[in-house]
Amino acid sequence: MSDIHHPGRRSVLTAGLASAAALGGSWLLTGCAGAEAAPVLPAAAAKGAPDRGGTLRIARPPASDAETLDPASSLSAYEYLGALYNRLVRIGPDGDLAPDLAESWETDAKARTWTFRLRKGVAFHNGRAFTSADAAYTLRHILDKATASPQAAVLAPLIDPAKLGTPDAHTLVVPLKTPNAEFPSLLTHYNCYVIPDGSAKSIGRTGIGTGPFKLESFAPAGPGRVTAYADHWAGRPVLDAIAFYSVADMSARSNALLAGQVDLLSQTNLDFATARVVAASDRATIARVKNAQWYVLPMLTTEKPFTDVRVRQAMKLAYDPEHVVKVALQGAGTAGWDNPVPSSDPAHITAHPKHDPEQAKYLLKQAGHEGLAMDLYTSSYDPLFTPMALAYQDSAKRAGIRIKVKTASADSYYTQIWMKKPLMATYWFTGRPVDQLFTQIFRSGSSYNETAWSDKEFDAVLDRARAEIDDTKRRELYGEAQTLVIEKGGAMTPMFADRLVGISRKVRGYAEHGFEFDYLGIGLKGA
Amino acid sequence: MLSFITRRIAAAVGTLFLSSILVFLAVQALPGDVATQILGKDATPDAVAALREKLKLDKPAWERYVDWVGGALHGDFGTSLVSGKAVGGEVSMYLGNSALIAVITVLFAVTGSIVLGILAGLYRDRWPDHLISTVSLVGMSVPEFVVATVLVLCFSVALPWFPAVVLYGPDATVGQLLPAVWLPALALAVVMAAYIVRMARTSVIDVMATEYVTTARLKGLSTWRVVTRHALPSALLPTLHVIALNVAWLVGGVAVVENVFNYPGIGKLMLSSVQNRDLPTIQAIALISAVVYVVCNLAADLATMALNPRLRTRGRTR
Repeated sequence: MSDIHHPGRRSVLTAGLASAAALGGSWLLTGCAGAEAAPVLPAAAAKGAPDRGGTLRIARPPASDAETLDPASSLSAYEYLGALYNRLVRIGPDGDLAPDLAESWETDAKARTWTFRLRKGVAFHNGRAFTSADAAYTLRHILDKATASPQAAVLAPLIDPAKLGTPDAHTLVVPLKTPNAEFPSLLTHYNCYVIPDGSAKSIGRTGIGTGPFKLESFAPAGPGRVTAYADHWAGRPVLDAIAFYSVADMSARSNALLAGQVDLLSQTNLDFATARVVAASDRATIARVKNAQWYVLPMLTTEKPFTDVRVRQAMKLAYDPEHVVKVALQGAGTAGWDNPVPSSDPAHITAHPKHDPEQAKYLLKQAGHEGLAMDLYTSSYDPLFTPMALAYQDSAKRAGIRIKVKTASADSYYTQIWMKKPLMATYWFTGRPVDQLFTQIFRSGSSYNETAWSDKEFDAVLDRARAEIDDTKRRELYGEAQTLVIEKGGAMTPMFADRLVGISRKVRGYAEHGFEFDYLGIGLKGA
Repeated sequence: MLSFITRRIAAAVGTLFLSSILVFLAVQALPGDVATQILGKDATPDAVAALREKLKLDKPAWERYVDWVGGALHGDFGTSLVSGKAVGGEVSMYLGNSALIAVITVLFAVTGSIVLGILAGLYRDRWPDHLISTVSLVGMSVPEFVVATVLVLCFSVALPWFPAVVLYGPDATVGQLLPAVWLPALALAVVMAAYIVRMARTSVIDVMATEYVTTARLKGLSTWRVVTRHALPSALLPTLHVIALNVAWLVGGVAVVENVFNYPGIGKLMLSSVQNRDLPTIQAIALISAVVYVVCNLAADLATMALNPRLRTRGRTR
């Protein structure tokens, strides 16, 4: 869940400041020409090979003043993790699993025991060799109650920490409590970075991992620096160092980029006005992370009138996702059609009911909610919440649904509004494996089940999918699960949005998808 | 005179006591739970409950108020709920950084605006007055974050003379912060100066119309001498209060500007503490701001009395 919150605890002032910056910026940069057409946003970052060496400067929003480098913690300083550590498995650009510290993995015929073959000749930054003991310790650390890791909720029902097996230094055996054919995908989460055996107490400060960079300095919610680890098993990274700076305010971050003080804005989805100013600058430009975020209008299925499945269906049929994409995203994304599984996921299905306001009206009448009126809560937490809400309001009008958009305070939005109000706006980062997505956000009783949806049929399909070894059959079952979410679930998913990332024109080799960031290949040209 | 001073100080202490209660109540009324806010939304309900107990959030409010005020009187503001460090030390570190901006702002704003105000007053209804008055009216009406943003776009983005944001943490040295203080100081000075300019202008006009100025002129003194020896001291008196209030605003109200520049000062600490629901830190900052307000006002009152013969003798004639 911090994935939704990773885009930062932005200040309440963000929206106002950003638009002021944008206004001031375009006024300056267009030289008072005023009516000139807004510059078109570039589709991708500059191509070409970077020069070797150099220091990349990244501005990031701090997680909290209590940040830590412990990857398992809910307050981990996200940007450092991929630079300092490796996981057993990661997600490749095609959405499939790819090896990281585990070279290969296999399961028995019932998907109950998983065996991971670990890479040899890998050393931690302190010189110690990486072995299966470290991998097993990492899992036990995540499951330890004292760590309070968000990923514990996902792994605890599957793993008994006492039963982890390490038959030799490069083999890890994980027996599961219940069958799960997608188990390795759960280890791609950013809480699952591998830490050295016995390091629980110190890892938050030392940051000792096997990653491409080693820690030089770190201050919670402050500046820090990592330097290239020449002995990294996959080769030395292009850069000599990365300097991290924490800048809480979004407009301050873009100002730093425009002034040439930093090269990359991490976890910052620029609003369109700011993005245009950045793209028009000589120093900086925009890179897009395709379909990086999925936006949701969750309906609490435990609150009236959403307890009635017909009302939920009507709410979905009533609006046109294409309209929302056009209005709220200005086209920079794709329509979701209420399916949270992104098209980049191999299990994604394309089938969905058509936009049908007449049918929506009919269903509402049947349910006794003709001319339904609802409050829809948004905030300035993300620049797209309010445009999305307004686009929905506009689109749903045709089905006679009257939506009142209410703006709540951004800094308490996720404690006061989310999962409390019957209808509100939220978003998640894509890049979650399909089983994790469904288990965390849609399964009965899960702590992040934001619609409080509880459906026995759906849970059963999920269980069957997990136990299914045959890849094709399993994908079919995950397809069935998607159909259930679309037809009966409480989440409206109007759109997948590209993330607009501000980067310096000197940056080369920038690649990011889901929670994966290429720290090895990124570099600078002419730095 | 002594009784006036005593009464004035007693009133100040009373004001501080009242503000401590208000601060405490206001912080209690913040929406959102401290424990959830600290642990992040990933926290389990068990962890939240344990933390609430550890933070003594389950004790009644009045008990916590007495604890807090008692500690504050001894300079102990408790420990930060987020970083676990002593609030007093943290706050003074950030406060020191803000003081750097404040000193430069006051120097800019006070000297500059008094000179401009006097010029405007002396050239009343002529072009220098029109120019100065219009500019100060604009400065007064535009919010400080717009001024700050425009300054950044002009002097960091278009002309790369000053840094746009501070990339250092709160423990930065004065040398590291120095290049970055000019734009925030200028932004604050613009907003702050506007009030002082208008006040100084009005007082100069009033004083220049009095009989003793006319007499001084009739005696054949040069305009320059009339202004510096006779008009200025009287004209400055009413301005003092405006300056005092503005200095107080400076300490309490820099949050927005510090945020624009990512400046590690008290305003930024205040914002992040509010977002993290770090109650002891918020309370300490609010109380310190109240102290600054009260002390600035007190100082202005006492200074006014010291400079104004009529007020000075009031106690005796009665």
